[in-house]
Amino acid sequence: MTIALAALLITHVITGIVAIGIHNVVLMHLLKRTPNYVFISRIAWSAVALFLVSWATSAYYYVTYYGTAVKPRILAGDMPFAHAFFMETKEHIFLVLPFLAISIALCTSYLRTNPDDALRKSTAFLTLVALCIGAATAAAGVIVSGSV
Amino acid sequence: MAIYELLVIMHVIGTVLGVGAATFAEIHYTRFNSDDIITDDERRTLATTYTVMRTGLFLLVISGFGFLLYLRLTEYTDLLTSATFLAKMTVVGVLVGNALLLQARIMPLAIGAAVSLTSWYAALVLGVLRDTNASYFEILLYYAVAVVLVALSLRWIRARMHGPAKAKV
Repeated sequence: MTIALAALLITHVITGIVAIGIHNVVLMHLLKRTPNYVFISRIAWSAVALFLVSWATSAYYYVTYYGTAVKPRILAGDMPFAHAFFMETKEHIFLVLPFLAISIALCTSYLRTNPDDALRKSTAFLTLVALCIGAATAAAGVIVSGSV
Repeated sequence: MAIYELLVIMHVIGTVLGVGAATFAEIHYTRFNSDDIITDDERRTLATTYTVMRTGLFLLVISGFGFLLYLRLTEYTDLLTSATFLAKMTVVGVLVGNALLLQARIMPLAIGAAVSLTSWYAALVLGVLRDTNASYFEILLYYAVAVVLVALSLRWIRARMHGPAKAKV
């Protein structure tokens, strides 16, 4: 693996994990009785930016390196299901995450000027869904990495 | 090598902050709540302790994924599928889930406190052991038993320390 590809992989993982962590913070604050929507919307938009960076770097890594150098090794190894199930699922579910993050950020921005308890609860639920998908994606990444 | 040592230091600091804060959160809460009244000053002390605990969790997760990257890039990936590592990941996931349930007031405080305290110590022990002969499910069974024992111990300690209720000033 070249240094550039290693840097892309590092960027993909770190930005993805920080973005998932930010969604965790967003959810914790949305569960408060009187949330600070200015703070929540700012960090929600930073999660969007981080997910897009994580998405772009992983896409380049996947297309130029994973398919030719990593995937054959996994399929020939002891845990072929790591690609056949976990990576195949991860690469499709991960596509949803940036759009979920944008929806959460838009809702929190709206809540800044129009506080609404029903929307707060719905946004909290959406953030919980994004958090669960993010955590599952990260766990799948660990299994894929461990099967190389 | 320098990056690996940096990750180890970050991981140890995260664990120390988390385990220490979880321990003192329990000690403070038990003492402060012994008269059924938590004053503003006591609330601020607890809030600071929880902030330290969350900082520890953040450092633990970031350095943990740093290790993942290090092991992946150095092609030493056997550890990533070991039962101990996967059990530790599960325990950290339980820690995050427990914090969310406590924040949403879905989890009763007595159970949530026991889960938090046991999970932090379990993460510490699993990190020190690195690899054991026990399977993933065996480790989780020991962990579940430990949660029950800690919950019962905390209940007993709180009952012993609980003084007569005072009128709110």
